[in-house]
Amino acid sequence: MVEVRLEGVTKRFGRVTAVNNVNLTFGDGEFTALLGPSGSGKSTILYLVAGIYKPSKGRIYFGDRDVTDLMPNERNIGLVFQNYALYPHMTVYDNIAFPLKLRKTPPEVIRDKVLEVAKFLHIHELLDRYPAQLSGGQQQRVALARALVKEPEVLLLDEPLSNLDALLRIKIRSELKRIQKELGVTAIYVTHDQSEALAMADKVVVINRGVIQQEAPPDTIYNEPRNVFVASFIGSPPANIFPATMDYTEEPCINLPGGTRHCVEDEYASVLWRMKPSKVIVGFRPEHAEIVENPVDGRPVIVGEVYTVEPLGRENIVTVASEDIHLKVITPPEVRPEAGELVYVAVEKGKLMLFDPQTEVNLRYIAREWSQGG
Amino acid sequence: MARRGRQALFFLLPMLILVVAFYILPLILTAWISFTPLTNWRVRDQLDDFVGLENYVNLYYLARYDPDFHKVLQTTLVFVTFTLFINVVGGLVLAILTYLIDERISLAYRLLWLLPRMTPLAVFGLLWYYFFYGGPQGTLNSFLLKLGVIDEPVRWGTDPAMLPYSAWAIIVFVNGLVGVSYGMIIFYSAFKNIPRELIIAARVDGARTWEVIRHILVPMVRWHIVFVTVWQLLSLITSYTHLFVLVQWSVVDKWYGTTLALYVFNTAFFDVKNQGFAAAAAVILVIIGSILGLVTLRIMRFSQMISPPRGDI
Ligand SMILES: Nc1ncnc2c1ncn2[C@@H]1O[C@H](COP(=O)(O)OP(=O)(O)OP(=O)(O)O)[C@@H](O)[C@H]1O
Ligand SMILES: [Mg+2]
Repeated sequence: MVEVRLEGVTKRFGRVTAVNNVNLTFGDGEFTALLGPSGSGKSTILYLVAGIYKPSKGRIYFGDRDVTDLMPNERNIGLVFQNYALYPHMTVYDNIAFPLKLRKTPPEVIRDKVLEVAKFLHIHELLDRYPAQLSGGQQQRVALARALVKEPEVLLLDEPLSNLDALLRIKIRSELKRIQKELGVTAIYVTHDQSEALAMADKVVVINRGVIQQEAPPDTIYNEPRNVFVASFIGSPPANIFPATMDYTEEPCINLPGGTRHCVEDEYASVLWRMKPSKVIVGFRPEHAEIVENPVDGRPVIVGEVYTVEPLGRENIVTVASEDIHLKVITPPEVRPEAGELVYVAVEKGKLMLFDPQTEVNLRYIAREWSQGG
Repeated sequence: MARRGRQALFFLLPMLILVVAFYILPLILTAWISFTPLTNWRVRDQLDDFVGLENYVNLYYLARYDPDFHKVLQTTLVFVTFTLFINVVGGLVLAILTYLIDERISLAYRLLWLLPRMTPLAVFGLLWYYFFYGGPQGTLNSFLLKLGVIDEPVRWGTDPAMLPYSAWAIIVFVNGLVGVSYGMIIFYSAFKNIPRELIIAARVDGARTWEVIRHILVPMVRWHIVFVTVWQLLSLITSYTHLFVLVQWSVVDKWYGTTLALYVFNTAFFDVKNQGFAAAAAVILVIIGSILGLVTLRIMRFSQMISPPRGDI
């Protein structure tokens, strides 16, 4: 339908900078998730795209059209709020029909369109009810219907599933994705639930304190976090992060906690040779490590003492204390070491992540920028 | 169910006692007095001296034949209708304006409108006494004389040439000024309670300011509108203090400035001190007030607004 572009957009509220110099492109017909902790500026970006807020700086484009100074109703967007914001004094029918009535659409056309979208979302039997008489999931679909009935070019969703129970959420998640693809509408989806973002989105934008941290497909966000923030925000539990010193004798080698060493051979090696940092920040995902009794050659291994074991049914989360660092490892249910036991944590080959200690950027990205820059 | 009944009684009891002590008992007393020839508070020899419906019959003849009493009835009708309109619609308009403008200006603006209500009655009366004073030194007169709009001072509220409309305009204006802030405060706080998302949602749906007002703001405070309407209606029917000052100081004509409530007051305590007769008029006033209150609730479809509770507790 249309591509949405933010160019150097900044939004300040008094002294608070909610969104800081953001450059972003939301692809035509793509489903983009805006992911970040509370107060990071997700809703603000959404409201900027909607036209509810005017940027303090920068421009916003829908395709070639500069919409920066247009009012929300001139932008052809649909917006679903976190709390649905259904009009409590109107029936479901009137709620959905409201945007069309304001456009002075002929009544017969309104009727047809409302019925169509209501059928599409399976709420056509609820049209006479008031919002207070609906369940959370039904309200959510009414809000969606109200946004879709306008046939918007851009669909904006502000944590629309956060009020639902886990089961309903997963159900509606896939439904939402299906609807979005069927309509081919450009969708921006705000959430602080990472599993939602990773499961639904074509592209995930991670934001923190108003600054974009990473913009990439879900796989990349998960496997190759651009910086320490993304690594420690994504995953449940999130990645283990700790500082380590380096030495460079024959190869760049990391001194891991517990006294072991790991020498880097993969694509990190070249960037380490060039930068020769004396320290790095090391990270790995709990699901990319296992507890072993004997260290295996080649794999990075950390020695430590079992601190706690949390059985979760399908798996256990084992916390291992090594020096003053606590590492989490996900183990199969049968691997359940005793607290106090001395164990080795072995990280899968190639799954160790290294970050620059100053900028906290993943060294892999620095390497790529170098190779691109020549 | 019995438990719930007892619970209800427990919570209602203090209020019930107050209502009985300060409303029901005086009402019964008033009704009683309306069947006696009580004058000049000669309670001892007249309170048990029943004259049957004599006071009511007198009232009937007065209503039928007395030109001054006709003026009182007309004035009551005009006064209540127009002041009510100003109080409700004006209050709504003011609330909408203050809701839409910047918060700080809005606060100053609302305080300004509260001034008439906060001003002591005597000061307020004096203000209007000077303002509408018939001599050349009256505020309005001197102002208009300077501007050259009028050549000689006008006796605004009492000049027979302009009666009854000028007197009515003044009493409606002065009382409207006092009453309008009530609706404004109620409606404003009701607006403040509307979730901001609803307004934003309406904006996104394409509503202009006027449409936000019409489709969101006003319907969302309809409960408050009913409340303010009934409340103001009843208080306008029964209140007389401001009118008393205006009439007493001859800002307005005596009869075109007197409503039924003031008439009752004057009859009982001021002019002829005929309490038995005043009580009969008061009883009629209470009946009229009750009927009008119920009719208003009916017209505004109050019962439809009380939605059944969502929980069962
Ligand atoms: N209208 C406003 N006035 C002042 N500050 C605001 C306003 N709206 C947002 N902020 C501030 O801007 C920052 C970003 O807010 P925003 O609502 O975009 O966060 P968010 O990422 O949506 O958070 P959440 O997940 O809690 O909804 C916050 O620090 C917030 O306090
Ligand atoms: Mg938000």
